[in-house]
Amino acid sequence: MYRKLFVLFNFALVAVLGCAIWRSSHPMWKVYQRNYYNMAADAMEKQAGEMKDPKAAAVLREKAEELRHTPLQIKQILTVFGGVDRCTTCHVAMDEFVNPTMKNDFTQQPYAAHPLVDGMDINKMHNFQKYGCTVCHQGQGMATTAKDAHGFVDNWQKPLLKGKYIEAACARCHANFEHAKGMEFVALGKKLFYKHGCQGCHAINGVGQTVSVDLGNIADKPLERIEPYNFSLIRINGKPLPKDQWTLQNWIFAHVASDPESFVPNDPLAKYNPEPIAPSGMVNWTANDAAGHRELSEQDAEAITAFLLSLTHEQIPYQYHVAGIGPMPDPDPHFTDPVAHGKYVFEKYGCAACHGLLGAKGRRNFNALGPGQVPLDRYAKLTDPQKIAEMAKGREPTLTQVVGTYDHQELVNKISDGVPETAVARYNPNGPMPPLYMPAWKERGLKGKELNDLATWLLTIGQSNQSQGGF
Amino acid sequence: MPDLEELKSEVVNSQIWRSIFRGGLWSDTPRDRANHMIGNVWLHIQPAKVRKRALEWTYTWGLGGISFFLFLVLVASGVLLMFYYRPVPGLAFRDIKDLTYAVTLGKFLRNIHRWAAQAMVLIVILHMLRVFLTGGYKRPREFNWCVGVILLTLTLFLSFTGYLLPWDQLALWAVTVGTNMAGATPFLGNAGPFGASLMHMQMNNDIRFVLLGGTTVGANTLVRFYVLHCVAVPLLLGVLIILHFWRVRKDGFSAAPYGDVTEPKLDTWPNLIKREYIAAAACLLVLMVWALLVNAPLDVIANPHATPNPEKAPWYFVGLQEMLVYFDPWIAGVMVPNLIIVGLMAIPFIDPSPKGVGRYAFKERPFANTMFLMGIIMWFCFIFMGEFCRGPNFVWYWPWQSWLMQKPAPPPTWNLFGPTGVGKFPLALGLPALGLPVLAIMFLPKLIQKNLSLAKAALACFAGFVVVAFALRYGAHVPLSQGAWIVFFGTFISFFGVLIPQRHIRGLDWARYLVTMVLVVCTMGLLVKICARLAFNIKYLVTIPSVFLNV
Repeated sequence: MYRKLFVLFNFALVAVLGCAIWRSSHPMWKVYQRNYYNMAADAMEKQAGEMKDPKAAAVLREKAEELRHTPLQIKQILTVFGGVDRCTTCHVAMDEFVNPTMKNDFTQQPYAAHPLVDGMDINKMHNFQKYGCTVCHQGQGMATTAKDAHGFVDNWQKPLLKGKYIEAACARCHANFEHAKGMEFVALGKKLFYKHGCQGCHAINGVGQTVSVDLGNIADKPLERIEPYNFSLIRINGKPLPKDQWTLQNWIFAHVASDPESFVPNDPLAKYNPEPIAPSGMVNWTANDAAGHRELSEQDAEAITAFLLSLTHEQIPYQYHVAGIGPMPDPDPHFTDPVAHGKYVFEKYGCAACHGLLGAKGRRNFNALGPGQVPLDRYAKLTDPQKIAEMAKGREPTLTQVVGTYDHQELVNKISDGVPETAVARYNPNGPMPPLYMPAWKERGLKGKELNDLATWLLTIGQSNQSQGGF
Repeated sequence: MPDLEELKSEVVNSQIWRSIFRGGLWSDTPRDRANHMIGNVWLHIQPAKVRKRALEWTYTWGLGGISFFLFLVLVASGVLLMFYYRPVPGLAFRDIKDLTYAVTLGKFLRNIHRWAAQAMVLIVILHMLRVFLTGGYKRPREFNWCVGVILLTLTLFLSFTGYLLPWDQLALWAVTVGTNMAGATPFLGNAGPFGASLMHMQMNNDIRFVLLGGTTVGANTLVRFYVLHCVAVPLLLGVLIILHFWRVRKDGFSAAPYGDVTEPKLDTWPNLIKREYIAAAACLLVLMVWALLVNAPLDVIANPHATPNPEKAPWYFVGLQEMLVYFDPWIAGVMVPNLIIVGLMAIPFIDPSPKGVGRYAFKERPFANTMFLMGIIMWFCFIFMGEFCRGPNFVWYWPWQSWLMQKPAPPPTWNLFGPTGVGKFPLALGLPALGLPVLAIMFLPKLIQKNLSLAKAALACFAGFVVVAFALRYGAHVPLSQGAWIVFFGTFISFFGVLIPQRHIRGLDWARYLVTMVLVVCTMGLLVKICARLAFNIKYLVTIPSVFLNV
């Protein structure tokens, strides 16, 4: 019996080892690479067939034959940023040494050459052999299987930037992307970010407010910081995200393309925590604005996401921070008219985040005392569902309705001193702390002429003497 | 056609061949077979003849040999991996990626190394179980049992040090959990009892600092663990393996009754060698198939600023991590493992009975086998609880529950005898209230020198605890669900902690009896505390913080 087992096991061992060697030596990239060489050789031979000069045709045919028999290998680019990109192992057309023109007619991936971007040849501006691929496209440069390389896998947090999101990568180096060619999408995102007052809660590298987190390195946010529970609640156009799409990009996108309260419900009833925690205080940007339009379209949301994905603290050597093709951004505009200046100040400091565009619609603020609400007494129960619905009616003041009750000096004082988060009047005193509050703007650089002009402008937007609530 | 036999004889008798192999032509005589073992440096670690009984598969299960074979596999695959690996934070992770994606057979190699390491931990534990069940620790093998216990500890440590090397999140945080326990060592750790107050231990001079080469897991830790993993621990392990084998050889290969030399013996070659070969081949086959089918885990690159939730130790330490829920770190992370190691080493010296050596003998050694099996089962139960029943925030999730479901934080805990509340005087009330039952369990078994009926006594205990549960229900409004916990744990502890010792070791001399009972009481105390926390949310049964007495 042992003799039989001896033979059996030895055969099995050799077989399994053979299997391992076969698997190791037959990766998919070899198929792609061989296909590419054959396709390129076919194209050359076709070209040779159309040639009139037989000598040149023969040379070309010989070249094609040589290409057909190129030995297969893992190609890698050691980038100037210290990365290792093996993308050209499959995307052979992007390998300068195989395809010096960097052009071909193949449309199918991974064989196609790099497309022109707005008519620009990217390789001329950012030589692939120097820059590599992942510095722009993200993904896992060291991987040699399609799935792992594209990065939509559990152990890689920076998957490919697809479609227009790629512009986020441009903006990481080119400070003038607002006006540069080929970066219009991310420029739109930045414009929208400031227009809708995101900086009124989120600072970027310290510039802006601290009601919520600083977004200066949001593109580096580790996924460990995001609860899978929250990912599972995300619905984009009513559909949940498949698990391989639980990416940072979709996390940001969901914040602007769906209602953040729906996937960051937190714990307003204190079911899971000792103290109640209000849902996300972020605006529902898909809701209609004062004029009845969806405030941010899906495309707007994508643009803002692209802009935010450009905010990284990853070290890129200074010599690569250069202007793109296009003018540098405008300097801070100057105003002579205090009203126009006041409006500019309103947008500059992100007041729209809470008070709506041009102060026309106060945003929701969970458990803050809404217009027309009478606060509950201190014995109010937390778990009464009706009270929960009432708590959700909390609103920030709609400035057009309340500024009429202030005079100029009162407004200036109100803005300067703010309302600290603990002092925001609550509907239910036992409910969670409202997530939004008025920062004390004197501590945040809003003073002097800016403050005066802001108050001046605010007084012009008020509807005559209506008093419908206030802080 | 040349005569093959003649050719063979020519070759074997040539000067070159004979200078290497001494034996000459093989004619399968007993002398040849013995010579084959004795004349070969690799084989002569085994005797020329072994007892027939020791050859049976169902006796040793080949566990010791497989452990050693796995060690060899690990050395071989580890050396190959070392060619590709640089122990520097930015590079280490990248080298693992290279192994995965670019090195021929690199992924396969890493898988084999990883799975062999996990298998070795398991097999070594099973080997210990087998040796225990067949009485292999008894005279004259006490010392070798202790060497074996050290080898088991070193195996765990070797596996643990290797855990850090891929430098991914899994590695960083598992090692953080593991080494934080070192910081809780009494006297030597900054967070341990008397560490800061008496020994002036701080973050930057305690034993954890020595282990990490810093205050957090960083570049120095990686180098330290690399050297420990690739050089220091394997060397030490190798030295002790030689000692272990030499003792096995000297004490007679595989347990046999002490002094019985009349048993028939068989030639080691080929009887044992062929079995060893098959065991090794089967083991390697399983490993290779395993490595082909399942990839070794590799998380995202280590990031000290982002903690995965939950963060877990390697599976073989998750049982201790689970203990952290119930005990202070210095108890869960230091006292419990050390007590286990010391307790294991004490076994040969507190069990003087010469019965049941060289065979599975449950009836001859009911106490030893019951207690040891209970310990092993508990160890794996805790691992199961920590690995499969703990979700985000280390909150209890049943294995079938999704971690995407939110769970309330556990209710606030309270102290039975602490500075505040009902039992305000832990020293005056708590120590007597808990100490008396402990002393009772300690001494009762030896003080009742009567032959009790186990079934009747157990039933009486059960009935007693049922009465207690109902009394608490109607006297103090303790719900019956909590009463059920009391009934279960109460009966379990009185059965295994009092009745079984009373039945089997009441005749032991006082010294051995007391050491045994200390170990039994500690094990039972573990269960008491688990019951107290899970059923009654009790943080500490008694807490006297000034002397770090929090149990």
